[in-house]
Amino acid sequence: MSAAAPIPALSVRALRAGYPGGGDIVRGISVDLAPETILAVIGPNGSGKSSFVKTLAGLLRSREGSIEVTGKEVTNLSPARRVRAGLAYVPQEANVFRNLTIAENLKLAVEFLRGRSGVGPAQEADVLAMFPEIARQPKVLAGNLSGGQRQMLAFACALVSNPEVLLLDEPTAGLSPKFVEETMQAVLRVREAGVTVLLVEQNVAAALRFADEVMVLVAGRKSCHAAPSVLSGADLTDLFFGGASA
Amino acid sequence: MIAYLSTLVVLVSIGVLVGLALNFQWGTAGLVNFGVVGFVALGAYAVALLGPHIGWFAAMLCAAAVSAAVSTILAFLSIRLADDYLAIVTIGFGEVVGILLLNEDWLTGGALGIANVPRPFVSLVSAAHYDAVLLGFALALVALTFVTLEILVRSPFGRALRAVREDPIVAGALGKPVLRLRIRAFAVGGAVMGLAGALHAFYLTYIDPGQFTSITTAYAFMAVILGGRGSNTGLLVGAGSIMTLLEATRFLKDALGVVDGAQLAALRLGLVGIGIILLLILRPQGLFAEPRKRVSDFFPDDDVAADRSAAAARTAPAWAVDPSVPSFQHCESEVSSRES
Amino acid sequence: MVGQLIVDGLATGLLLALPSLALTVVFGILKFPNFAIGATLTLGAYAAWVANTFLQLPLFAAGAVAALVVAAVCVLSDMLVFARMRDAGSIVLLVASMGLSLVLENICRFAFGNATRNFDVAIERPIRWHGLRISHEQLTSAATVVVCVVLVQLVIYGSPLGRAMRATADNPILAAVRGVERETIVRITWVLAGALLAIAGVLAGLDRAVDPLLGWSYQIPAFAAAILGGLGSPFGAVVGALVIGLAEELSVLVLPTNYRQVVSFAIILVLLMMRTQGLLGAKAVRR
Repeated sequence: MSAAAPIPALSVRALRAGYPGGGDIVRGISVDLAPETILAVIGPNGSGKSSFVKTLAGLLRSREGSIEVTGKEVTNLSPARRVRAGLAYVPQEANVFRNLTIAENLKLAVEFLRGRSGVGPAQEADVLAMFPEIARQPKVLAGNLSGGQRQMLAFACALVSNPEVLLLDEPTAGLSPKFVEETMQAVLRVREAGVTVLLVEQNVAAALRFADEVMVLVAGRKSCHAAPSVLSGADLTDLFFGGASA
Repeated sequence: MIAYLSTLVVLVSIGVLVGLALNFQWGTAGLVNFGVVGFVALGAYAVALLGPHIGWFAAMLCAAAVSAAVSTILAFLSIRLADDYLAIVTIGFGEVVGILLLNEDWLTGGALGIANVPRPFVSLVSAAHYDAVLLGFALALVALTFVTLEILVRSPFGRALRAVREDPIVAGALGKPVLRLRIRAFAVGGAVMGLAGALHAFYLTYIDPGQFTSITTAYAFMAVILGGRGSNTGLLVGAGSIMTLLEATRFLKDALGVVDGAQLAALRLGLVGIGIILLLILRPQGLFAEPRKRVSDFFPDDDVAADRSAAAARTAPAWAVDPSVPSFQHCESEVSSRES
Repeated sequence: MVGQLIVDGLATGLLLALPSLALTVVFGILKFPNFAIGATLTLGAYAAWVANTFLQLPLFAAGAVAALVVAAVCVLSDMLVFARMRDAGSIVLLVASMGLSLVLENICRFAFGNATRNFDVAIERPIRWHGLRISHEQLTSAATVVVCVVLVQLVIYGSPLGRAMRATADNPILAAVRGVERETIVRITWVLAGALLAIAGVLAGLDRAVDPLLGWSYQIPAFAAAILGGLGSPFGAVVGALVIGLAEELSVLVLPTNYRQVVSFAIILVLLMMRTQGLLGAKAVRR
């Protein structure tokens, strides 16, 4: 073990969570994310991937455990406060305000971030440079954009808050293969810009191609956390279609 | 004593009838009706206008029929609307009925109303014993309505309504004629409200527009919420308790000498409001609520619903119970060895 | 004759714009039709009347006091009632607002009785202009409403707060993860609605007189106006109010005057049957 280990961008300890009135869906997950890493979270239907990421974002209250963003505890913060602490989230659906224009979506994404460092016109310019298609048409209503364009806008809005960690919930869901490629390229650019990314993905092939690390969730628990190369096709078949457990 | 008991029972019966009707429309079929008082008024006026000509029984049936007919028309026009909008339309309806009653003097007597409403069975007994008769009549009417509605609720019609209430899309896919079912449910409720209006007219023998205010609607909602939407037994308890409490508070006037009549009325109405709010906060599901069901529970034989439930069962992870981790233990060491 | 009706219609419509705005803003952000609009307006009228009569405040100041009082009452009602049912569905909230309406209206009735009250203002002769009669009250009313409406539109469509409100109305969860605290926006919405209703109460009390049923007579027309403009659209609410006001006044050409409310109801019904989105707003048809 090295003497001065860098502070993980995201540190999750023994996290438990579930919907009110129901049992635990997230059943004690612990994971550390080194800075500027892309972690893909994969798992079968019902394994709790989406709930896990919602708990990290603050949309689902955690029952036990802790979450830290670059050393700052965010476990009991509201979603709005977590953004200010550097944790940005892009939901799977409904991830832009359809009744607001592109410009208004972007403005809103920065207006309520009191105290967040690095937010400002320079950051906005950098982000818009990454997504030129969005920058071109500020007055268009977000609801009138195509699915792929909305995805880009959603990314941009999350990024203008200068996050440390970006949570993405199935960013390629419902996109054509061309857009899947574009989206994952955008994720790579985001990582190059210094952001740590945690993404939930149903598209296992894409996840394995682009991610630095992969975490497999089964029934609310972490069953594996490794480099993509470690997971073979047979392992995944076992995992996803039963038979892996004793 | 009998006179007082008769009054109480009749007033409670009217409240119960209105509550049962709303319970059928809202509790069973999921249709919000904020114009309850309008339909009650229609029944009362029908009896008052037709009674002297065709006798109390025929008039009572007409009251139910008129109210059911108007319900059908209103439902036909607005049944496709979402809940919020249906509520708005029905409240508008209630107001319009009030305006019509007040202004169409040639028919309704305007603000003066109509007097000399014939009463059921009045020729059978002497005036001294009539209170007991009316009491019995009211109870019989309530019992008959209760039984009829219970039968309806448990019938295929009732099951279909509840399925439509829970999930109109699936119910529609199963071939249930959603709109027609809703219109019929609205009409049935309307008919019972007409009967309540008839009883109201029989009891008072003199009706005017001022007797029909939105408070009636508020009482009905309170009773249904208290009793638990959909449960007729609960409604009996709910409506019974509310009406009894309200009638009992009439006598507060003597106890609370400090307040005058208008203030006492305000106090009672304000308490109704607080009651509604408290009920919704503390016990929104009521006393005897229906347990939540899935559409497939109503139609165990239908394929679509069965398929849907089976599909839902399939995606639940079969291995969820076993806490042991599958054979990837070597994964962890890979990552930590990269980090050190 | 028709000209006078148009003048009166515009005056009525402008006055209606305030409760209509309040209704639509609450619907947009809290997702339910608020049946306590009328009673809140009444409360505002009485608050202003007390300030005007007992504290000897001029009407403008009395209105400001009323706005503060009613805004506070609305926030309090939210904390005590609506906050506890935040995600219970619009029907539960609707019925709760019915209960609240009873409470507010009867607090006024209990405290002030059923007698009508009037504001202590100097009586002025109406202005005559090209054969039309325009009263001072109508002018004051119109000016006040125009100022309020313009301010509200500027805030909602041109300020960060307005963007936050529109975002919360569009998608409260997404708004939260973009830094907007939903509860803060909700409270601000109630303050805005309360202030608008209080001002409307003052203007209505000027136009007619103050009694416990004052607000109730605006309730259905306000709903009609908000639906006409599309529930949730502040701009639509104002346009809808003007149309309803004109329709109600012009209806005397064909209907007896007592039937004005029927006009609003008929408009609601026809609208919802035909064009389920109003002019600019949310869908009204059930699946």
